[in-house]
Amino acid sequence: MIEEPYRWVEAIANRREYIEAQLASGSPIAALGYRDGILFLTLGQTRQKIFEIYDRIAMGAIGHPGDIERLRMAAIELASTEGFTRSAADVSLRRLVHYSLSPVMKSAFEQVYGAPYLARMLFAEVGERPEEDLFLRVEYDGEIATGGATFAQARNDFAALSGTRQSRELMESFLKAEYAPDTSFEATLRSALDAWSVGQMALQTGDTKEVPVRTAVAKYRREQLANTGIEAGILERDPSRGIRYRALLDKELRALIHD
Amino acid sequence: MEPPLVRLDQNFAGAADDFPTLLRRKGLLGPAAIVDPIRPVAGLHQRNWEPTEATTILAFKFSGGVLVAGDRRATSGNTVVYDRADKVLEIDRHSIMAIAGVPATAWEMARVLEHSFQYFRRTQLQEMSVDGKVRALSKLLRDNFGFVMQGVGMVVPIFATYGSHPEPEARLYFYDAMGAQFEVTDYAATGSGSPAVRGILYYENNWGAKPLQKLNEDEAVSIALRALDTAAESDTSTGGVDRSGKIYPLIKIVSRDGITTLAETKIAAVFKQTVA
Repeated sequence: MIEEPYRWVEAIANRREYIEAQLASGSPIAALGYRDGILFLTLGQTRQKIFEIYDRIAMGAIGHPGDIERLRMAAIELASTEGFTRSAADVSLRRLVHYSLSPVMKSAFEQVYGAPYLARMLFAEVGERPEEDLFLRVEYDGEIATGGATFAQARNDFAALSGTRQSRELMESFLKAEYAPDTSFEATLRSALDAWSVGQMALQTGDTKEVPVRTAVAKYRREQLANTGIEAGILERDPSRGIRYRALLDKELRALIHD
Repeated sequence: MEPPLVRLDQNFAGAADDFPTLLRRKGLLGPAAIVDPIRPVAGLHQRNWEPTEATTILAFKFSGGVLVAGDRRATSGNTVVYDRADKVLEIDRHSIMAIAGVPATAWEMARVLEHSFQYFRRTQLQEMSVDGKVRALSKLLRDNFGFVMQGVGMVVPIFATYGSHPEPEARLYFYDAMGAQFEVTDYAATGSGSPAVRGILYYENNWGAKPLQKLNEDEAVSIALRALDTAAESDTSTGGVDRSGKIYPLIKIVSRDGITTLAETKIAAVFKQTVA
């Protein structure tokens, strides 16, 4: 039946719809570059969503835990063997995503008799300077989005990942308007929490096109913080250390939030 | 059809592989050498070349953690190959591997080990335990034993780390070439100059001004320098302290806060004051 081209297109469209529906409840993750590194943040999840991949690379993901696990393992394997045979400096997020992960995800998505990956991932690589930070979002169909950065000009200060496109876009427009990069960690932490709140509010209300007003965001953030834990990790810019990733504890972050 | 860039295993069942196994599966690490018990090993005495070797390392616990020191000489037979060899290697934030033996094999082992610990933490989302780390090195040595029997690639390392369970404390091990690990309470030394070093450390620990564990940093450095200098006095493979070239042993300290590499100026100052 799907030998006919039209049927194939239809099957792909159905599959896309199915995956989007599966991912729609995925809670947002915000990744923000600041003076001393990159912060990954999400709130109140039962399972871990932010992971270390290699010395300068971290990942946040939403989707089916089994699929996230397989992709995460593949990314760690690739980066580790590359880093072992050559050097840590030769491990590059751009190559990892463009030449390895994306083709695999695309072919899994398009082979309609096999199972696609129910996962959407956000990768970041910390650079020596903020303008060298790289953020890449990889979709279940292998599509790679850079959030405005071009191949020639990588400058990109933040990235967002969420269950729906509309939620992610609201987070992005919020960050574009409100977030000043090259700032302190405390300010970045507040922006990340706000961005998460904007994304999560959009998932709950459904059809909003506008970023909610600042007081509503602050109120929502306070409510959520009172009930749930913060999951976060940073990639530090500090060049004196090889391994830059560090998971942050809920407790140490709360001391920095003055609500 | 071209093989895919990444092979994602559909029967994926968790990260069963440790890092060396992963490397071997990808053809990036040689297979474990096979020891053939029936055929006599050719070459032990017939080989006509000498592998580069590095010798004499020591480690002991003192009040600030574990001090690990190594001389800088690498030799091949009776030729000095290199006088700035680095035999004290950082494996992770709290672990040091010091090597006596063939550097080619030892450095490769250190690299595998370093990546193994990181790989474990990243895939399993927890730090490898001290016992796991000690065992990982043991396994690498065991895999290498076939080469040792063929007369090349002998490595006899010391491993120093800082464990946090059940309570924070320094842990110190030495190994034999087959991979047996021996945990020590006070000090360890391996390599060709080690008999002299062990003599000095035993003496200091029992009848010195104070036991090794009570020494402060400067006193510990002083004893390490004296021990290596004594070893070099009778063992040609040990570099000791090169007074004219101003080449000092490499000294690192593992403490609760991580690893510190002592600056050469500091070692030189202690040397000038208490050894020279």
